[in-house]
Amino acid sequence: MKNKFIKTVSICIIAIAYSGCTDDFVERSAPYSIDSENFFNSEDDYYNALIGAYDMLQSTYANAILGEIASNNTLCGGESATDVIGWQQIDDMVHTPVNSNLKDIWNWMFAGVNRANYILEFKDKTNFEGKEIIIAEARFLRAYYYFELVKWFGPVPLKESRFQLGDETTIPRSSVSDVYAFIEADLIFAANTLDYNAPQIGRATKSSAEALLGKAYLYQDKFTEAAIALENLILNSPHDLETDYDLIFENQGENGIGSVFEVQYTDGEGASFDCLQCSEGNVAVGFSGIRNYNGPQFTSGFSFNIPTQEVYDAFEVNDIRRDVAILDIEAWAAFTGASFGTGFDHTGYFNRKYLPRIRSNDAAGDLNLTNPNNYRAIRFADVLLMAAEAFNRGSIDDSKARLYLNRVRTRATLPDVMSSGNALTSAIYQERRVELVGEGHHFFDLVRTGRGNQIDGFSPNRNEVFPIPFEEIQFSNGNWQQNTGY
Amino acid sequence: MTTKIFSLVFLLFTSLAISQEVDIKGAVTSDADGLPLPGVNILVKGTSNGVSTDFDGNFEIKNVPINSVLVFTYVGFKDLEITVENGDPLTIALIEDTESLDEVVVIGYGTQKKRDVTGAVSIVGAKTLEEIKPIKVEQALQGTVSGVNVTSQSGAPGAGLDIRIRGISTNGANGPLVIIDGYQGDIGVLNPSDIESITVLKDAQAAIYGTIGANGVILVTTKSGKKNSKTKVGYNTYTGFQQTSRKLNLLNATEYATLLNESYAAGGQALPYPNVSGLGAGTDWQDEVFNNNVPIVSHDFNVSGGSEKITYAFSASHLYQQGIIAPKKSDFKRNTARLAVGADISEKIRIKANAIYTYIDRDAINDFGLGSVLFNALNTPSTIAPYDANGKFTLVPNNPGLGIEIINPLAQISDTNNDYDLRKLNGTVSVEVDILDNIMFTGRVGFNTSNSEGKTFSKEVNYGGKVFDVPRSRVDQNAINDNDYTFDAFATYSNVFSEDHNVKLTVGSTVYKQFGNGLFATGYDVPNNAWEFADIALATGTSEGRDVGSYAYDERRLSFFARVQYDYKGKYLLSAMLRRDLSTRFGPENRVAYFPSMTAGWIISDENFFSNVNAVNFLKLRASYGILGNDQIGNNGYVSLLDGEATYVFDNALVNGQAIGVLPNPDLKWEEAKKFDLGIDIKLLNNKIDITADYFINTRDNLLIGNIPVSGITGISAPGSGSPTVNAGKVENKGFEFAIGYKEYISDNFKFGINYNITTLKNEVLEVNNSTGFLEGGNFGVGQLAPSRMEAGQPIGYFYGLQTNGIFQNQAEVDAHANQSDLGAVAAPGDIRYVDSNGDGTVNADDRTNIGDAIPDVTMGLNLNFSYKGFDFSVYTFASIGNDMVRNYERTLTDVNRSNFALNRWTGEGTSNTVPRVTTEATSNNVFSDYFVEDASYIRIQNVQLGYTVPADLTEKFNISKVRVYVGVNNLYTFTEYRGYDPGASSGAPIGGGIDDGFYPVPRTFLVGLNLNF
Repeated sequence: MKNKFIKTVSICIIAIAYSGCTDDFVERSAPYSIDSENFFNSEDDYYNALIGAYDMLQSTYANAILGEIASNNTLCGGESATDVIGWQQIDDMVHTPVNSNLKDIWNWMFAGVNRANYILEFKDKTNFEGKEIIIAEARFLRAYYYFELVKWFGPVPLKESRFQLGDETTIPRSSVSDVYAFIEADLIFAANTLDYNAPQIGRATKSSAEALLGKAYLYQDKFTEAAIALENLILNSPHDLETDYDLIFENQGENGIGSVFEVQYTDGEGASFDCLQCSEGNVAVGFSGIRNYNGPQFTSGFSFNIPTQEVYDAFEVNDIRRDVAILDIEAWAAFTGASFGTGFDHTGYFNRKYLPRIRSNDAAGDLNLTNPNNYRAIRFADVLLMAAEAFNRGSIDDSKARLYLNRVRTRATLPDVMSSGNALTSAIYQERRVELVGEGHHFFDLVRTGRGNQIDGFSPNRNEVFPIPFEEIQFSNGNWQQNTGY
Repeated sequence: MTTKIFSLVFLLFTSLAISQEVDIKGAVTSDADGLPLPGVNILVKGTSNGVSTDFDGNFEIKNVPINSVLVFTYVGFKDLEITVENGDPLTIALIEDTESLDEVVVIGYGTQKKRDVTGAVSIVGAKTLEEIKPIKVEQALQGTVSGVNVTSQSGAPGAGLDIRIRGISTNGANGPLVIIDGYQGDIGVLNPSDIESITVLKDAQAAIYGTIGANGVILVTTKSGKKNSKTKVGYNTYTGFQQTSRKLNLLNATEYATLLNESYAAGGQALPYPNVSGLGAGTDWQDEVFNNNVPIVSHDFNVSGGSEKITYAFSASHLYQQGIIAPKKSDFKRNTARLAVGADISEKIRIKANAIYTYIDRDAINDFGLGSVLFNALNTPSTIAPYDANGKFTLVPNNPGLGIEIINPLAQISDTNNDYDLRKLNGTVSVEVDILDNIMFTGRVGFNTSNSEGKTFSKEVNYGGKVFDVPRSRVDQNAINDNDYTFDAFATYSNVFSEDHNVKLTVGSTVYKQFGNGLFATGYDVPNNAWEFADIALATGTSEGRDVGSYAYDERRLSFFARVQYDYKGKYLLSAMLRRDLSTRFGPENRVAYFPSMTAGWIISDENFFSNVNAVNFLKLRASYGILGNDQIGNNGYVSLLDGEATYVFDNALVNGQAIGVLPNPDLKWEEAKKFDLGIDIKLLNNKIDITADYFINTRDNLLIGNIPVSGITGISAPGSGSPTVNAGKVENKGFEFAIGYKEYISDNFKFGINYNITTLKNEVLEVNNSTGFLEGGNFGVGQLAPSRMEAGQPIGYFYGLQTNGIFQNQAEVDAHANQSDLGAVAAPGDIRYVDSNGDGTVNADDRTNIGDAIPDVTMGLNLNFSYKGFDFSVYTFASIGNDMVRNYERTLTDVNRSNFALNRWTGEGTSNTVPRVTTEATSNNVFSDYFVEDASYIRIQNVQLGYTVPADLTEKFNISKVRVYVGVNNLYTFTEYRGYDPGASSGAPIGGGIDDGFYPVPRTFLVGLNLNF
């Protein structure tokens, strides 16, 4: 009896023990998760992936603020000479391939490329009505990110699908012209597919694609193509100049009639320094804020991106744009009783277009990182000035150039420019600088037109582009060469 | 000649005496607790006349010749010999023998006699735990076990501790595997007085645990009842008062203002304090935040006993500790209840079961990093009063000199509200079946199941434009559910062949599964902006984004193992192990892992040629080599999941999509640890001296480097994405361990023991196979380059910064030196001179080099105990030598308060060559350099305890077998040159671990306690 009991128990235990003991036990799928290679089975899947591709636009805050700091418009600022050392070095044009802020731009823009490519890689998997819109937007976004990459780094590797580990050792950096050709193809497709009206505010439109296409042509001095694309936009799109220049940069002015493409931000979700690219807010705004500010209209920030006296003085008398673009803090404090602190490189001026405004009580923190100010990436005024430049520099039609230039000047309550030829070119350059100051374009405008030497410390044949991150050269294992001079 | 005569006479007398015989009655008790010992064997020496004690420890032995010797033997106790002088009843107290060679050691899937152990194994017994009075069990391993280092993440109540066995071997998880009564468990939540013993497996002996054993294994055995013993009841309690073990020397208000004036003057600015007289000492912010006489209370109640077939033990405990900072807002409560039963169902079947219920309630203040209460206390100027005229908290001004991070620490404490509760049930059920005479089968299931709830209330508060302002109140809540089970089934076959060949074979399998989920949610607009109303039920506001989140996991492991143990005459010992592991942590290409190991021993003292060596009682040589694994990495690292972040704004509202998460690595596999150990065990002078020495080399290969830097073109920097985990590094730890114990029983009244241990450790990274050749980590200052690295040829996590070479005394020295302006500012006299280590004529980030590391070169423990009559006294000390720490608790702004060594600043040529000038001008003096790295070697008197046991004849009248009262001090004093709070603290991170953001110091605790046994 007893023996039988023992046997039964033993057999039971052994049976239980080994029932779970086949190797299949560890074959399980991760709970509540989706394998990225088994996606794109519905329209929703494509749309969700598209949101992911748009998401990286928010990280272009770094491009905007650093583009400005790199130029002669602003100084780096901040708390001290060592605060965000990578930006300080770029301000002084002493940057090297070891620069975490440049690395961010490289990494984030390629992340954007890859998220767009994720959709494009699977573009034929599932069909549904309206898919071409999503594909066109994905291609627009890919072009947008590649345009940033070529602006900052020159030749970069190209791929139609997601970059895989190891591609850095095999795919060469394509020439600048090849990169532009790639961008043009995407934008032509997007411009031909998209409508002037987007299905939702914030999504790319036909105008967005045409404007970026025109810009890409202009950056290559392809004036004729630029003029065609830009003029088509000017004539056919619903966009026009916002009449009130001051309104453009306020909350009510977001996604207005003058906005051709706008990066969307909100303070509805929190953010932290651990992942700045994760913020749904415009990080550049908090970084540009007045240090220790206490007063009306604005809130405080980290006092980076400090306008110089020289750019303040670059405005013509009576230009209504100066006091919208640049805040004279001493005068403002005297007028309103506001208090403020001074940071590094203090000039008394701040980049008013992108200063943090007083927030609603519902704003999520860290407030410095979640400012909701949209980045007006491509404004209609920019389009007009680009068109003017194309017509003038391409010797196509100076009268059209003057027409578009003077539309911008009229809004600024300035008299018309009557010049032609090189004088007109200079006038257009001057107008671009003051119209777009604080928006991150000036460095690239200077460089593409051969005027980089206006920047303190600028070395020709070196500083036109930025160095490829040191690590990337290492990763490429000889496949990529560093940019000249770095 | 005389001796011979004496012997003869003596012999004569004894032989005469034989004729006289008596009957002797008596009782045997345990010396430690005065409880009766049943089953003690009593033998008249040289005869077969013997008896054993009954259930109450009583015995009667007949026909004992006068002057004969009675030998008392009992497992786990020292043998005792008593010469019979007359027929009076005897009261015998046996002394527990914790160092006995016959002591049984748990080695994983079985036990072994200590003399037969061939691995590097250390044991901490219940007595040590009792003396150290650890609040958390981990503390009892510091200084008591060679090769083990325990660092605290914070001195706050209930804060985590990190155990490192034989150094830091990986950039990933370094914590050892903890096995409680056979199942995987958590040592951090156990009640220390429930523990019978802790065994630490330090070498390849742990290879039976395969892919989870690489960081060493800690085997915890909990207490159980003893068979045939009367019910024992114990009650232990102590209460204590805590204070900070350290205060830093900061500037008082007058010193601060004077120094600030100098700084402003140097920067060409107006003096902030034109008149410093009358400022006095100002506010001592440390006194404001540190409390004295902060209570800690512990109660512990236990009952145990057993009959011939049943054993039982029950215990309950309560611990409550408040923090020395914000006592009511940082506290720790732990209640436990435990039941253990064992039964022999038949002669061949034994079952055992135990279960522990734990309830933990912890509240915490911000005690780590920039923004901690101490960080604020250290940086807030002493010229600022804590409260304003209306009795409200003073705001720390918002200006560039004080920045936007520093807030009034008292306001911060007042605005801190959180709660964490854990309810946990863990336990095991096991059955042992003797299938045949020499085959035993063991089946057991161990489990942990826990639920925790966390809640943090962020009060709507305005500190005047600081980053800690909360514009909108919110409450964050979470509920986490964690479960696991360990199912073991194994058989042990043991036999003796040809008398001398002992063989033991163990074969079995373990199934392990952990699964659980977490749920997070946030509510906004808490009614009345008050903690009393802080719950999502009331906080009905929502944000634009997603206010909820969750996760789930299901991880599994399947293991088979076999072990052969063989010895010849108990002299030559060999064991070999093989384990096969499958784990869901590994990629499909590498699902299966095999881990072989071998250990061997030679008991030299058993050899014939050794029989003449009287001074040496025991000598054993040991060697072991084996391969173990570490699978402690993130889940699902081999598959690409859509768990990245895809959030954007369409139509002015947040929209959430889907994006790729961390990049996968299908080749992912375990880290491989190759462990070599050579050891020796010696007992000398009648076993009074006990020596163990080991030399070890541990090489950790295929290190799992998570988020390994790879080319950014793959999109790894997208929100929620990341680089894959890749097997790409190699680290070596070499060291020497030596432990010596000396025990002396001078008389029944006077005993003492000394234990000393020392461990040396040399850590070197051998490979980092990413293309940069290094990994970075840690944070220093604000926005500075990563200060810590893992790089081949260097210790893991070494500090990487500029080397300094004094202070520039004059402009000529500045001009003669390499240009330092690339660091951010042109150098001036009084600034730090940095070494141009690459000799290129400029000092910049390329000149960074090794400026120290946080790994101690040597750790030591020295532990003493004495007892004289009813008094007992013990001291535990620990020393760590050669560990560096980075001073990062100073916010390097112009107007913050400073440590008073700033008074020794450079003020002109020849004034200082160590502390730079003060100025509000831009300087490069705050760039990470060895100026911020300090030697954090220390010696700490961890515990001192003095006890008195009331004589048993007094207490027995009240049926109390033992009454002991004691007083003690924990963390009595720390000797160190380090200027921060706690040289023994670490975040535990392998890279960036020794960076001091203002660690919460361990409290010094004065204890009064009572032990009662019935």
